[in-house]
Amino acid sequence: MVIKTIDLEADLIERTRINLNKVEKIKTLSKKVIEFKENSDKWSALECIAHLNLYADFYNPVIKKSIENSNTKPNEKFKSGIIGNYFVKTIEPKKKLNKMKTPKDKDPSNLSLDLNEIEKFALQQKEFLEFIELSKNVDLTKTKTAISLTKLFKMRLGDTFKFLVAHNERHILQAESVIKAYK
Amino acid sequence: MNENQLLIETIENNDLWEKEIEICRNEYLKVKGSVDTNLYFVKNGSLRIFIVDEYEEHTIRFGYKDDFIVSLDSFLTEKASDFYIQALKKSTIKVMSKTNFFDLLNSSNKFHNCWPKLVEQLILQQIEREKDILTSSPIERYKRVLKRSPQLFQEIPNKHIANYLRMTPETLSRIKKS
Repeated sequence: MVIKTIDLEADLIERTRINLNKVEKIKTLSKKVIEFKENSDKWSALECIAHLNLYADFYNPVIKKSIENSNTKPNEKFKSGIIGNYFVKTIEPKKKLNKMKTPKDKDPSNLSLDLNEIEKFALQQKEFLEFIELSKNVDLTKTKTAISLTKLFKMRLGDTFKFLVAHNERHILQAESVIKAYK
Repeated sequence: MNENQLLIETIENNDLWEKEIEICRNEYLKVKGSVDTNLYFVKNGSLRIFIVDEYEEHTIRFGYKDDFIVSLDSFLTEKASDFYIQALKKSTIKVMSKTNFFDLLNSSNKFHNCWPKLVEQLILQQIEREKDILTSSPIERYKRVLKRSPQLFQEIPNKHIANYLRMTPETLSRIKKS
């Protein structure tokens, strides 16, 4: 599917704004609510956010590097790759949130976490918005980034952006549903 | 009645706001990179406009009750803007699109002076702000802003005023005491 780059950017920016706002709302809740777990297998809202931060820890430097090393020119159009698009579709939140496997290195449940994770999320999202700005100098289709799942495949920068925003949406919804369960 | 009051009264009396939105403390009305040509009016609450430079936030403007607030670069150019607009407390914001705003201005001769007047005010405010930034003494910067907008110190938390004045919150408290 080919879309206009400018529309893709606007969509990613707006969804990131909504994600930031949802997390700001979570930040106003008490520690008890934010750390509440429905049972030992499920994540607390804090763990959901920490999980997103682990992703940003990996992807933010990767994206930065891919933009800096890209010798491409900006392109008005962006075309999703077949695999990239598949990853994005898989991670997009469904009506009823389906369970997915978490890679061990991205599992927050054994980490010692504090509420700074929420502050960190906002910082990393602002960094993400910087990358969208920087990416205006390169071709989002031809510029490729590493991905966390496998070294064998490189993803189109535009798909990596889409993946991360959808991944944020998924786990913020999850965080909201744990909070709802507490109430 | 000045031009601002005339405009606001006309909009209010004819129910010309397109919508009213509520945003909570710390929520963003706008983030970096978006095109935002809306005109916002603060019904209640307070907001700040800032940019991020190398992980540091620089507050450039505040808006509180009865102020217009816009991402001015975007409003004028209709292009993406670096500005963030964030609520500092729970705020109610009225919204009008640029198109509707200019349709209104063009709708009657009585408004024909409004836009030039608004631009004039904005330029004068920008000059004052430029002088702030060029003032090297923190005490003088504080005095300038206190004289210009005493209300600011009632409405806005110290931390954000300090950022606006380009000093630490500690320096600001020290200056306020002396």
